[in-house]
Amino acid sequence: MKFKHMENPTLTPEQSLLLITKTIEETKERFKENGHILVFWGVLMLIVIGSQFILSLLELYKFTMYPVYLYPLGGVYMIYIWINERKKNMPKTIIGNILGNIGWIIGLNLMIMGFLFSDQLGDAMAPVFLLLFAFFIIVCGLTIKFRPLTIGGVLVNLIGLGSFFLDRDYHGFSMMLGAVVGLIIPGILLNYARRKAYV
Amino acid sequence: MPEEKLMFKELDPILHSQLRLSIVSILMSVDEANFNFIKDETQATSGNISIQIKKLQDAGYIKVKKSFKNNYPNTSLSISKKGIEAFENYVNSLKKYINPK
Repeated sequence: MKFKHMENPTLTPEQSLLLITKTIEETKERFKENGHILVFWGVLMLIVIGSQFILSLLELYKFTMYPVYLYPLGGVYMIYIWINERKKNMPKTIIGNILGNIGWIIGLNLMIMGFLFSDQLGDAMAPVFLLLFAFFIIVCGLTIKFRPLTIGGVLVNLIGLGSFFLDRDYHGFSMMLGAVVGLIIPGILLNYARRKAYV
Repeated sequence: MPEEKLMFKELDPILHSQLRLSIVSILMSVDEANFNFIKDETQATSGNISIQIKKLQDAGYIKVKKSFKNNYPNTSLSISKKGIEAFENYVNSLKKYINPK
C-alpha cells in the first residue's frame, strides 16, 4: 500500500477488496500490544515475589515489604511508554482505550490492596490478586484475539482459585507461576508472532 | 463508453480510488488518526493526501479536526456516520460484482 507518486488509479472490484482487507489488517497489526510489556510485568512480579520469598527464608521478615516498592517503578515505566506512544502519532482506538483503562484501574486496585489492605485480606490476598489479574489477561487475550494470552489468563484464573485451598506459605509459588504462565510466556509468544508478521 | 466503465458505474466514485479507499480503510480500523499516521501508512505525498482528504471531507465521509499539539499544527481525522454507511455500501457492491448471485 504505497503511493510514492501522484497517480490514483481506478481499481477492479477484486483489487479494491484486497486493498481494503490489507489496509485494515496492516493497521490493526500495529495495535497488537507489545509483548515486551507483558514480559516486563511478569519478570517484575517474579523479582518482587522471589525476593520476598528469599527474605522470608532468611527470616528477614521486616524487609519483605521493600521489594513491593518496585511495582510503582513499573508504573513509572508505563507512563514513560505512554508518553512515547503519544509522540509517535499513534491513532486512538476504542480497543486500546478500553484495555488501557481496565489495565490502570486494576493495577491501581492491586497496589492499593497490597499496600493498605493486606491485613484485612489475610490468606485471601494472593488468590484475589490472581483472580483480578486473570480477569485482565483474559479480557486482553480475547480482545486482541491472541489465544496464548487467553489460555494464560484462564490458567492464572485456575491457579487463583486453587490458591484458596493452599497454605499461605505456598502463595508465593502460585504468584510466580501466575507471572510465568500469564505474562512471560504469552509475552514472548506475542513478540514472536509480531516478528513473524513482518517477515 | 468502455465496458469497464459501465461495469463500475454503481460503485461510489469517491471511494473507488486507491488512495481515498486506503485512507477510509485506515479510518475504519481506528477511532481517530492524525495526518502523519496516514502519511506513514500510505507513504503518499502530503499534497496528494491533502487533496484526497479534502474530497472525502467535502463528501461528508470523514471529519477533520485541526488543532495544535506541542506548538505544531495537528490534523486529526475520523470517519463520519455517512462515511461508515458509504464504506459498507461500497463493500457490499464489491461483493456483488465478485459474486453476482
